[in-house]
Amino acid sequence: MAIDPSMEPMLETFIYESNTLLEQLDEILLESEKSKDLSKDSINEVFRIMHTIKGSSAMMEFNGISSLAHAIEDVFFILRDDNTKMNGVGEALFDVLFEASDFLKDEIESVQNSAEATQDPNEMIAELERLAAIMKGEAPPSEKKQEQPVKEEQLAEPSSDSCRVRIHFEEGCQMENIRAFMLMTQLKDLCDEISSVPANPESDASLCSEIVKNGFIIDFKPASQEEEVLRTIENSVNIKAYEVLTKGAGEASSNETVSQSVSLHENSKSEAKQAEHKKADDAKGSLPSASKAKQSLVSVNQSKVDQLMDLVGELVTTESMVVGNPDLNGLALDNFHKSARELRKLTDELRDVVMSIRMVPLSGLFQRMNRIVRDMCKKLDKEVDLVTEGGDTEVDKTINDAIGDPFMHMIRNALDHAIELPEERIAAGKPEKGRVTISAKNMGGEIVINISDDGRGLDKRAILEKARNNDILTKPENEYTDKEIFGLIMLPGFSTNKQVTEYSGRGVGMDVVRKNVENVGGTISIDSKAGEGTVFTIKIPLTLAIVDGMEIAMGGSIYTLPITSIKQSFKVTQDQVIYDTDGTEMIMLRGECFPLIRLHRLFNAHTDVTNLEDGIVIQIESGDNVACIFADELLGQQQVVVKPFPNFIGKYELKKLGLSGCTILGDGSISLILDANSMLNIH
Amino acid sequence: MNNENIEMSQDALDDLTGRYLTFYIGDSFYGIELIDILEIIGIQQITPVPGLPNYFKGLINLRGKVVPVIDVRLKFGQEEKPYDDKTCIIVVTIQNMQVGLVVDSVAEVVTIEGSQKNEPPLLGKNGERYLSSIAKVNDRVILNIDCDKFFQSDLRPY
Repeated sequence: MAIDPSMEPMLETFIYESNTLLEQLDEILLESEKSKDLSKDSINEVFRIMHTIKGSSAMMEFNGISSLAHAIEDVFFILRDDNTKMNGVGEALFDVLFEASDFLKDEIESVQNSAEATQDPNEMIAELERLAAIMKGEAPPSEKKQEQPVKEEQLAEPSSDSCRVRIHFEEGCQMENIRAFMLMTQLKDLCDEISSVPANPESDASLCSEIVKNGFIIDFKPASQEEEVLRTIENSVNIKAYEVLTKGAGEASSNETVSQSVSLHENSKSEAKQAEHKKADDAKGSLPSASKAKQSLVSVNQSKVDQLMDLVGELVTTESMVVGNPDLNGLALDNFHKSARELRKLTDELRDVVMSIRMVPLSGLFQRMNRIVRDMCKKLDKEVDLVTEGGDTEVDKTINDAIGDPFMHMIRNALDHAIELPEERIAAGKPEKGRVTISAKNMGGEIVINISDDGRGLDKRAILEKARNNDILTKPENEYTDKEIFGLIMLPGFSTNKQVTEYSGRGVGMDVVRKNVENVGGTISIDSKAGEGTVFTIKIPLTLAIVDGMEIAMGGSIYTLPITSIKQSFKVTQDQVIYDTDGTEMIMLRGECFPLIRLHRLFNAHTDVTNLEDGIVIQIESGDNVACIFADELLGQQQVVVKPFPNFIGKYELKKLGLSGCTILGDGSISLILDANSMLNIH
Repeated sequence: MNNENIEMSQDALDDLTGRYLTFYIGDSFYGIELIDILEIIGIQQITPVPGLPNYFKGLINLRGKVVPVIDVRLKFGQEEKPYDDKTCIIVVTIQNMQVGLVVDSVAEVVTIEGSQKNEPPLLGKNGERYLSSIAKVNDRVILNIDCDKFFQSDLRPY
């Protein structure tokens, strides 16, 4: 089923909205399943979500999606009236709902890839119908029927200042009842009172024919201007014509054909927005722990944000090009410098704002992990609690995307390999329920994420044996430290699990995890105690794009050191320098000794400044490690745009040498960016 | 209209194949297929990068893009020669990556017919293993460099 060309522009919005809604759905379902109860709010929310998806997918003519959404909506319609009806079918209901949510996600992905939805949801629909029947069987919902007459009664005597409008939809536009409902939702905000004939058009698809035949009649009492309401009707899509039957003043007029224009878009958008608004309210009320970070947002194409970031990067460079222009040397330019400072302040602010636009909280990622844990526990008969901390920590969108897969992999590993079966856990004197903790925190320009489990821990002997068999050991076995042994599992071609399972051990192992993390400039380390569990620590720079750097001269080149890793810089005197037995230089500072790294030796470069007293010593730190580096002189502070090294020299792994990338300075020359973390690791 | 465009770009491609940019390293005359070449620039400030083989001179700023530069002399295992105003950087594209080649001087663009080309000798020292063919045009011998072979040892295996 190919998509109607006229729908093409809306496709992106449809995909975005549906994905957002489905994420909300998952969140609500997980929350509810945990508490084994569906609150009134959650039910309404799910109903709304399904309703929106049903409506928009029907308009996009994805019938599979819409009929499944419809079936779910039906179930929640029953629950909405009486949420005790889910007793007895609870678990089965959640299972099929999760399955359905996955199905919808898959479908939307395939829509995204090929603009087609292909799968058949009938099985799930049947299951949903069966559940609905069970629920209904106990007490068939009769409220629906009672509701209608009441409304119609009201309709019979519209109050004096209300008006009645008859709307005709375009022929063959299909799903008239949904369109009618969406129109009602749209108008609701503009009116004090609103009702329609037929009432609740969304609840029964058979009303379509009635709407086609008689038109859809709305009675409303406008909140402010009647014209405003009419204009909204006019601007809605698929409406062929409308006539005002009774106006507040009493005159009737019929109206011209309304052309189809922008507004299908707006239609669904405003619904999604409402859903999100409502979601935020819900979060305040019933789900305090979860999505604090969710707000009503404008959706922007990511490429535009990337472009904006690039532009700001250029701006920062250009600014320093202007302010630091050699033509200005020796001139007394008080006013210029005043303005330059102003400009600097503004670009700084602009940069901060743009960077904050790109920041997303990790909670979304954590949420997805919740889902994986749930599914795997069911499949593997294990019981695991996933504890997440610091979900409101924000990272750059690129980083967030890049670490999604590694996370998933590590969580799967933890559940599949690390956490034991309940019996084993009890035998080992551990609580029956396993525990996996993900925590994120912001530490000085870096995000530190810990993924820990209380499972069986890594088996050092098995790892060494496997490494030996795979021939990846580079030195005698007894020389390996614990950390190095654990590090082995992140080498290409290493997978400790004996057999391949559905979830992990498919050949892509921890080496892919490491590669993904390193691609965004991060590091990963492992710590493990046999019988007690394993901790993965991932450190990732907060943002990739722009850093505050200190420019350091050494042997004719300029290096840039991120300010965040500098503790202090100072001149040394000879008596502060101590030599180790093997000649290693160390600097004594206030009673503490720090190793000294001479940049020119590290980089094997020529410089005229080799006497420690002539140059400058900079104390750098990363995590708990502190060291001093020696360079010719400090040149000053500048904001720089980090560029990765060209792929062409990727083979040489400059990162290991303490270089994280390069940047273009104001005068057009290139400066290499030093990476305190890896420099400290070499040592 | 559209077809015309396609034809034109096809023509442009046809124009490039068989055409070589020739340059000097010492007294030898080398050629690189024009189709691989992005542009030719004069020598400019090169930022040295530690940890790379000696023939990598460092990085240059090519209109905001950071491009690594290789000294062809050093890559061929020849003596380094100080750069002068004849020294050029030929920027070539290989596997979607840009890299600059420092050469003594750029000569001209020549068209080399298939019949003028000979297979390079299988055995050879220094540069010969990077050659795709040896051609004789106007009594001059041109050693044609095969970019893929030339950069093979520098590219990542994956």
